Amino acid sequence: MTNRERFIAVLNGEKPDRLPVVEWASWWDQTVNKWMEQGMPQPEGDDPIQRFYGLDPLRQIWISPRAGSCPQPKGHGAALMTDEADYEALKPHLYPEESIQQAVNIAKAWQEGHERGDYAQWLTIEGFFWFPRTLFGIEDHLYSFYDYPELLHQINEDVAQYHLKCLEALLPVFRPEFMTFAEDMSYNLGPMLSKECYDEFMLPYYKKVIPLLKEYGVKVLIDTDGNVEPLIPWFKEAGIEGVLPLERQAGVDVNRIRENHPDWIMVGGYNKLIMHKGEEAMREEFERILPAMKSGRYVPSVDHQTPPDVTMENYKIYVKLLKEYAQKAAE
Amino acid sequence: MATIQEISEFLQKGRAKNVKALVEQALEEGCDPKEILNEGLLAGMMVIGEKFKNNEVFVPEVLVAARAMNAGITVLEPKLAEIGNEPVGRAVIGTVKGDLHDIGKNLVAMMLKGAGFEVHDLGVDVDADTFIQQAEETHADLICMSALLTTTMPNMKDVIDDLNSKGLRDKYIVMIGGAPINDAFAKQIGADYYTPDAATCAEVARKAVLDRAS
Repeated sequence: MTNRERFIAVLNGEKPDRLPVVEWASWWDQTVNKWMEQGMPQPEGDDPIQRFYGLDPLRQIWISPRAGSCPQPKGHGAALMTDEADYEALKPHLYPEESIQQAVNIAKAWQEGHERGDYAQWLTIEGFFWFPRTLFGIEDHLYSFYDYPELLHQINEDVAQYHLKCLEALLPVFRPEFMTFAEDMSYNLGPMLSKECYDEFMLPYYKKVIPLLKEYGVKVLIDTDGNVEPLIPWFKEAGIEGVLPLERQAGVDVNRIRENHPDWIMVGGYNKLIMHKGEEAMREEFERILPAMKSGRYVPSVDHQTPPDVTMENYKIYVKLLKEYAQKAAE
Repeated sequence: MATIQEISEFLQKGRAKNVKALVEQALEEGCDPKEILNEGLLAGMMVIGEKFKNNEVFVPEVLVAARAMNAGITVLEPKLAEIGNEPVGRAVIGTVKGDLHDIGKNLVAMMLKGAGFEVHDLGVDVDADTFIQQAEETHADLICMSALLTTTMPNMKDVIDDLNSKGLRDKYIVMIGGAPINDAFAKQIGADYYTPDAATCAEVARKAVLDRAS
């Protein structure tokens, strides 16, 4: 099987020759810097870290609704706008046509390798919690559900229309194996917002965008950290089919999810916090997730970016074990 | 006539303007400021805290309720000062050095205020010296530290180590929290308490301070 065929088989719940050996997240700059100090060559060219460690390539296109000219927040999570007037002033910097064309150009450049099966591809678009948060800022976004409900609807309507325009241009030339809505709407204690707020401010917009994705056969996933398990039924209502990264430190258990949601697609789920402890701890973690790996529709991967305390040698052990268990899960 | 119960109910709905107006009205009508504070504002915030713990309300509802509480407290503060009302305790709180995440820390600060504490929010990326200096200057009972990142959580230990080296460790109740934190880590670094959520933090803090005073 090619990398692409293998990925598709797993997402469809079919039997692969082995599971994909991929990292869904890009690597933390601190981690990469430490690995370079420990002997990893400077990353250059296509998929350099994947090539160095022997991982299967998995390529991502992320379309940002913010143009290059968009003002940057003054600090982490800071606001770009407050109210309707600010939003109107910001709009010339949002929903850029050039981002769509850039994505189409990248997709065309990747098309041959993808059709050959060299790599799987995924697409990320900014979701209806994430995108308004980038405009309002982290805290004011949470107030906006009560302070600016009409504006929040307007932003989500506008970004939904932008996503549709992007997808109509992109999907004829770019067939990702799956896509994610970037959201980060949950944390270690579960959802950050109520089901009522989700139903009012997010669900209608998923329902506008997801049918087009499904028309092109794209598996629809959501990217939200923390304890996502209580939200899975919410997502199913929207037509979402899976989730990443399934953080163990928040108590997420891929085996329990599989038991409760037999068709749910999962990516991630491998506890990043034990990787610095060495082979025995990492093997124990693979043993923990092996039942889910065997059950299909699950691509095991680190449950968020690999932390900088994981040495290059330990990461090599992780990849060796991932390959071993990717084979074992398909037997 | 404004009722204390109405103040609590409007607070729980996050209606800051109503809370402010009702507190003003209650004061004009001669209500005891302490009763408005304890039975109206803090009681309302305690209900929100309990509901938050039970996943009946979520972060946006806590934020708007806390904003309503603050609107009421701003009106009350001069009156409380006149009668010499003392807070349950004093807390300094911050996100540790290297970490810029503050929503969890802000929620804890709000809940502590809602439990009757005087809270000094030191912000994000707070180093050990600042935690200790501010705790000393404000006569704090509590030092509360938050971290979201696995790479910054070890910085909590620096604060505790510095407290130890300065001979100040026993003077403060040290509480820690954040997504990667757990009880074992709290024990490992010598913190007094780890609490999993903001409402529990406020409850534990209140009990710890009252126990220490008794």
